[in-house]
Amino acid sequence: MAGHTGGKPAPMSKRRAAGSASPDGDAGTAFWLMAPALALYALFTLLPIAATFWLSFNSSAGFNTSASFVGVDNYAKAAQDPIVWKSLGHTFIWLAYHVVMAGGLGLLLALAVSRLKITQVFFRTAFFLPHLVSLAVVGVIWANIYDPFFGLLNTALTRIGLGAFTQGWLSDPALVLFSVNVASSWQGFGLYMLLFIAGLQNIDHSLYDAAEVDGANAFQKLIYVTLPGLREVMTFVVSLAMINGLKGFATVFVMTNGGPFYQSELITTYIYRLAFQSQDHGLAAVLCILLSLLAIAITIVFNRWRARLSQ
Amino acid sequence: MLKFLARGTALAAMIAASSPAHAETLKMWGPEQITEPLVAQLWNGIKADFEKANPGVTVEFMPPTGTISNGAVQAAIQSDAGPDVILTNSGIGRVSVVKNAKQVMPLTEQYEKRGWKDEIYPWLYTELKGQFGGEIYEVPDGLDALGIWYHKDLFEQAGWKIPATWAEFETLMKSIEQSGLQPIAIGPRTPGSAGHLFGNLLQSASGKDVIGKALRREIAFSDPSVAAGAIRLQKLVEAGYIKKEMAGLDLDGASRLWFNKRAAMFVAGPWFTANARKAGYDLANAGYAPMPSDIKGADIPTGGVGWSWLVPVNSKQPELAMKWIDFMLSDAVMKKRAQDPASTMIYPREIPGVEPPTPVLKDIFAAAAGGVGYNPSVYLPGPVLDTYFQVIQGLISGQIGGEDGMKQIQAKMIEAK
Repeated sequence: MAGHTGGKPAPMSKRRAAGSASPDGDAGTAFWLMAPALALYALFTLLPIAATFWLSFNSSAGFNTSASFVGVDNYAKAAQDPIVWKSLGHTFIWLAYHVVMAGGLGLLLALAVSRLKITQVFFRTAFFLPHLVSLAVVGVIWANIYDPFFGLLNTALTRIGLGAFTQGWLSDPALVLFSVNVASSWQGFGLYMLLFIAGLQNIDHSLYDAAEVDGANAFQKLIYVTLPGLREVMTFVVSLAMINGLKGFATVFVMTNGGPFYQSELITTYIYRLAFQSQDHGLAAVLCILLSLLAIAITIVFNRWRARLSQ
Repeated sequence: MLKFLARGTALAAMIAASSPAHAETLKMWGPEQITEPLVAQLWNGIKADFEKANPGVTVEFMPPTGTISNGAVQAAIQSDAGPDVILTNSGIGRVSVVKNAKQVMPLTEQYEKRGWKDEIYPWLYTELKGQFGGEIYEVPDGLDALGIWYHKDLFEQAGWKIPATWAEFETLMKSIEQSGLQPIAIGPRTPGSAGHLFGNLLQSASGKDVIGKALRREIAFSDPSVAAGAIRLQKLVEAGYIKKEMAGLDLDGASRLWFNKRAAMFVAGPWFTANARKAGYDLANAGYAPMPSDIKGADIPTGGVGWSWLVPVNSKQPELAMKWIDFMLSDAVMKKRAQDPASTMIYPREIPGVEPPTPVLKDIFAAAAGGVGYNPSVYLPGPVLDTYFQVIQGLISGQIGGEDGMKQIQAKMIEAK
C-alpha cells in the first residue's frame, strides 16, 4: 500500500513522495472544493459590487431603463447635496450612540447579572429576548411608546409627576436620533451582554483573590482586573456594534423615515429613498460606495486600535 | 384489464378536454384595506364574479404593504415576482416615479381600443392626456376630496361650527385650544397625511388657480402668492394650534387623536370612512366641510386622482390585466362598489341613482360636486415630493419658516425640470 509504513504514520514529505497528494494536487482539489462557494460569492457579492460601481458612473432612472454614462457627475451631485452631508454626520452620531448605549448597557448588565447566583438564567433570558424581535417590530413598538399624546413614556412621566419632562421624542430635532437609537440599542444590547458574560467567566478568579489580598475595593477590582480581562471581548463587541450600527436602517425607516426634516436621515435611509422612492439609482450607488468606504475606514482604524491593545 | 385501462384513459381524456385550455392566475395588488372584513367581503365578491365570467382564471390578491410613496410598489415590480395589475395611491407625482423608471405600461392605446375613454369623466380624460405629453399610464379608480372632518357632537355641545372665513377659522381654533382639545391633528410622518392639511392650507390662502399655476410651473412656489399657505402653517404652529409634537406622528397616530376626540378636526378624504370603521368610530357623528377661505371659490375640497390601476411592464398576464380593468370599469362593478357599505371614494364617472352608504360620504360628494382643487401631493413631480413632505415636517417641527420651505420646494422644481 502506498505510503504505508507500518504502525507509525509517515512524515508529511514521505507521504507526498509516495504520491498520496502533491502540493499542486492539494491546491487543485481545494480549488474545486471551493469553486461552488467562490461562484456564489462572485455572483452575489462581487458582481453586485461591480454593478454598483458601474451604476455610480451612469444616469439611470432605474428598472428597465438604459443607463447613460455621466462620468463623475453623480459623485459631484453627491458632494453638493446637503442631505448627503447631513446623513453622513448622523451616521457617525448613530454609530457612537449605538456603541455606547447598546455596548455600554450590555457591559453594565453583564456585570450585574454575572454576580447573581440563582436568578442569572432568568435575567439572561429576559434581557436577551428583545434581540429575538425583528427591528421593524421594535420600531413599531417604540414609535407607540414615544407617541407624544398616548405613548407609554410621556404618560408615565405625567403620572409620576414629571410632566415637565415629557417630550416630542420623535419630533424634537435634537432628540430624534437619540430616541430612535435607544430603540435600536434596546434590540441589540442582549447579544452584547451575553458576550460580556462569556468574557467574565473566562477571567482567572485567582486575580480577584490576589486583588482582595492587596486590599482592592470593588471599583479597583473592576478597573484593574475585570476591564483588562474583558479587553478581547470588548474589541469584539465594539466591532460588532459598529457593523450593526452601520446597518442601522429598519428602526429609522419605521419610526421616522428620516424625519422630521431629515433630522434622523442616515446614509442607509437616504440610499433607500434615492433608489426606491426617487429611482435615482446613480446617486444611490455613489452613496453605497461611500458607505463601503466608511466601513473599510472604520475597520482599518479599529484593527489598528485592536493591535495596539493586544501589544 | 385492458378494457378497464382503455375506459380509464378515455375518461381522463374527456375530463382533460372539458377543462379550460389552460389555467391562468392574475396577481392583483389589492386595495389598502383588503384585510378589513367588510372590504374583503366586497373584493372577494368582485373576484368571484370575475372568475365566473372568465372560466379558468384565478385572481390572487396581494395585500399591499406600502405605496409608490414609500417605494413598496417599485420594489414589488422590480422583484419580477410582483403583481400583474396594481391598484395604488396615484396622481401624476406618484405615477411619474414609476413611469420614469419604465416600470409601468403606457395604456393610451387601450383607452381608445377598449373604450376606457368613455368610462371616465371627460375632464378627467383630458387631464390625464395632458400629463405626459399625451401618453396615459393609469386608469383612475377613485378620486379624492380632502376637507375637514369634525365631531358633530363636540361641535354641537360647544356651539362651534366650521366658519366661512379664515379669520373666523383661526378664532375657532383658538376657542378649541382653550377648551383643552387639539384644534387639528396631522400625522406628517406619513406623506399623505402631511400633504392633506398642507394642500388645504395652500388652496385656502392662495386659491385653486394660483396653486394650479404653481403646479404647471407658471408661478414659482416661492412666490408670495403661493407661499402664503406655508406661512399660515408656520403661524398655526407658532400659535400652538398645531402642536410641534405632531411632527412625530404618522397617519395612524394623528387619526387616533381624532377618533379618541382629543382633536376636534382632521383633514382627510372619503377613504377616512374605512379608517373610522376600523377604529369603531360612529360615522353618523362625523361631519365634513371644506377648508374656509377668503378667496371666492377656494372653499372647495382639494383632491385629484386618488387611486389608479397600473399595469407593470413585467406583468405575466397583461391581457388578463386589461380584462380586469375592463371589468372594474363596467357598470355592474361600479354600482356594486358604490352602493356597498365598504365604499370609500368618489368614482371616476357619474353613477346615476346611487345613494352613498354613509351620511358623511353624502356630505363629501355634495362638497365635491362643483369640482375639487389641487392636492399637490398627487400633482408634484416625483423628485420634488420628498422635499415637499420634508418641508411640511420642518414647518410643523418649527425647523424652518414658510418662505424658506417654499424656496426649497421651488429649488427642487427647477432641478426636476
